[in-house]
Amino acid sequence: MLLTRRSLALAAAATSAISLARPAHAANEPLRIGWLASLTGASSAPAIGFNRGLIFATDSINAAGGVKGRKIEIITRDTQGDPTKAVNATQELISQLKVDAIWGPTNSGESLATTSIMARSKMPNLHPCVVDSLIDVKKYPNAFRIAPSNSQWDDAVRGYALKILKARKIAVIGDTTGYGVTAAKASAEAFKKDGAEVVYLANIDATQPDMTPDMLRARDAGAEVIVIWSVSTGMIARLLNTRGTMAWNVPCVGHPSLSSGEIASLVSNKSYWDNVYAVGYKSCSYDSAGKLPTRTEEFVKRLTGKVDLSDTLLWWVAAGFDAINLVAKAVETTGSSSNDAIIGYWNSLNRYPGNFGNYSFSVEQHNGYPTDEVVMSAANSAKLGAFTLAPGYS
Amino acid sequence: MLSSILASGLAIGAIYALIGITYNTMFATSRVMSFTAGQLGMLGGVLGSMFILRLGFPLVAGLAATLLCCAAVGVATEFIAVRPVLKSLEQHLYVLSTLAFALLIQQVTAIEWSTEPQPFPRLFGIGSGIWDEKYWLPVVTCAATIGALEYLYRRTLIGRAFRAVAEDNFAARALGLPERNLRVASYALAAVVGGLAGFSGGELMLAFFANGSQLNFYGFIPVALGGLGNNRGALIGGLALGLFQQAANFMVGGIFASVAVFVLFIIVLLAAPQGLFGSTVARRV
Repeated sequence: MLLTRRSLALAAAATSAISLARPAHAANEPLRIGWLASLTGASSAPAIGFNRGLIFATDSINAAGGVKGRKIEIITRDTQGDPTKAVNATQELISQLKVDAIWGPTNSGESLATTSIMARSKMPNLHPCVVDSLIDVKKYPNAFRIAPSNSQWDDAVRGYALKILKARKIAVIGDTTGYGVTAAKASAEAFKKDGAEVVYLANIDATQPDMTPDMLRARDAGAEVIVIWSVSTGMIARLLNTRGTMAWNVPCVGHPSLSSGEIASLVSNKSYWDNVYAVGYKSCSYDSAGKLPTRTEEFVKRLTGKVDLSDTLLWWVAAGFDAINLVAKAVETTGSSSNDAIIGYWNSLNRYPGNFGNYSFSVEQHNGYPTDEVVMSAANSAKLGAFTLAPGYS
Repeated sequence: MLSSILASGLAIGAIYALIGITYNTMFATSRVMSFTAGQLGMLGGVLGSMFILRLGFPLVAGLAATLLCCAAVGVATEFIAVRPVLKSLEQHLYVLSTLAFALLIQQVTAIEWSTEPQPFPRLFGIGSGIWDEKYWLPVVTCAATIGALEYLYRRTLIGRAFRAVAEDNFAARALGLPERNLRVASYALAAVVGGLAGFSGGELMLAFFANGSQLNFYGFIPVALGGLGNNRGALIGGLALGLFQQAANFMVGGIFASVAVFVLFIIVLLAAPQGLFGSTVARRV
């Protein structure tokens, strides 16, 4: 074939036309959101809750005509809590399915494995995982957290113990998992920095059948509050049972697992679960009159009859709902579903009114959940996925 | 403090001893260390909770159903994980096959039951404090099981047949004993003992799928300490382990208790590789 100047110019024009046309797939193609969900396996409960909010948000937006005429398409991959499966699913969502944004994974183990992969392709990513190192605006400028970090949980627990319970002598107990050891150590150091006396620090094997040794040591050391960092409901229930048997009504505060519904069936006496306060969220907490905040009340009204809240947590549903809306809003506002447009929009948010929280992001800060909205809840007060604020909050 | 160490130490030690006896019973007729022993203990707790709390069975029926199911798992172990590898015993393939079967049991339990600990019913409602039934029930069960096994092995025909196969299975076969059927029966018996361990310790350990691997591990120590195949050694080793572990919990804290246990275990094995109550076996060279 003879290559003339005219054919070369035509080829160049066609190539530039194709490349200019690429972003225009936005016009009528669906808005594809990847969803890395641990829907089955050991840590499936949160993802099931997030999924309900996500489906509700997607159906609501699509029923109202979509985002600038584009329907939202959720592409779900069940990672089963396995980081390897999460990595494979992430690569598939980015390289083959060409999604516009990704929501998830929803547990830190998977997120640690996938965050750098998403960063390489600048994939806009929202997640609710707590490990602090998952947010780093230099390494992962595409990753945004819409739930509190571990430090924010720690701040809330410490603030409650020191400012509201007015305790000065603290016992900190974690389990022997990586999380339990790290969280207990960090918590103890932060208490010391704030001038409190950590009279007892221990990591307990979650399967240890008798917690009497540790509780006796904590009591003998004069602990006024016991701070618990563990996801093991068995260990938490044993600690509470031992506290009850010892007739020692010291307040226990700590990890959200303290309010897990499983505890109810594991404590020997329902009263052993009193005076226990778990990390919770202002937006999903009943006040002393038994009312949710107005915005949440309206959200729950919308969910009634459509989303089951009896066996999940309200904040999981609300965060799943917010994640989809944050992507939709970015595309609606910028008129583009390009990575830069979505990330740029999120970076401009200042107290965006979600149902779970008021999110703020900037180029320097991708921890979007406000610390002042992390509160403590009465652990045994669950009702339709929300909890009553712990005493002491106005 | 001492009473608390004794109560919980003896209770957990009795559970370890029963798991040790489970190992021994399976080993006696097959020369195989089946790593399903701890999972049978876990199943005793999980099935007990399921039959009594979830399905509403009365205590006796719940116990019977639990032990029956455990026996079925024991028989399945023999057919699936042991029999196919018996011909190549010296290659120790049973380690792989029984571990794989144990993992299978654990994963199925996690999926079908729960990944969180579930409550175990209060069986008699007797006692409180250190005299609570959750402490003395495993000890009583362990004593009763040892007594029943002694009676079975010494006073009954089938028990003597078990011992014959355990001592020399070639000679036993030559005498016309149904060695294969006896092996299957011994796996069912071992599974019942394992199930009893989990059932009697359910109030202490809860109905939790992850108990299996812990019992597998800690149940093996009395066997190694007491001498392989020696039930009395397993009993003493189990109780000693439980007491030492609880004392270590009190003295040095939970995170170091495991370290203390294994340090002691290694020291004992260095001093007496055949176990404290095992006899050295002459080897033809």
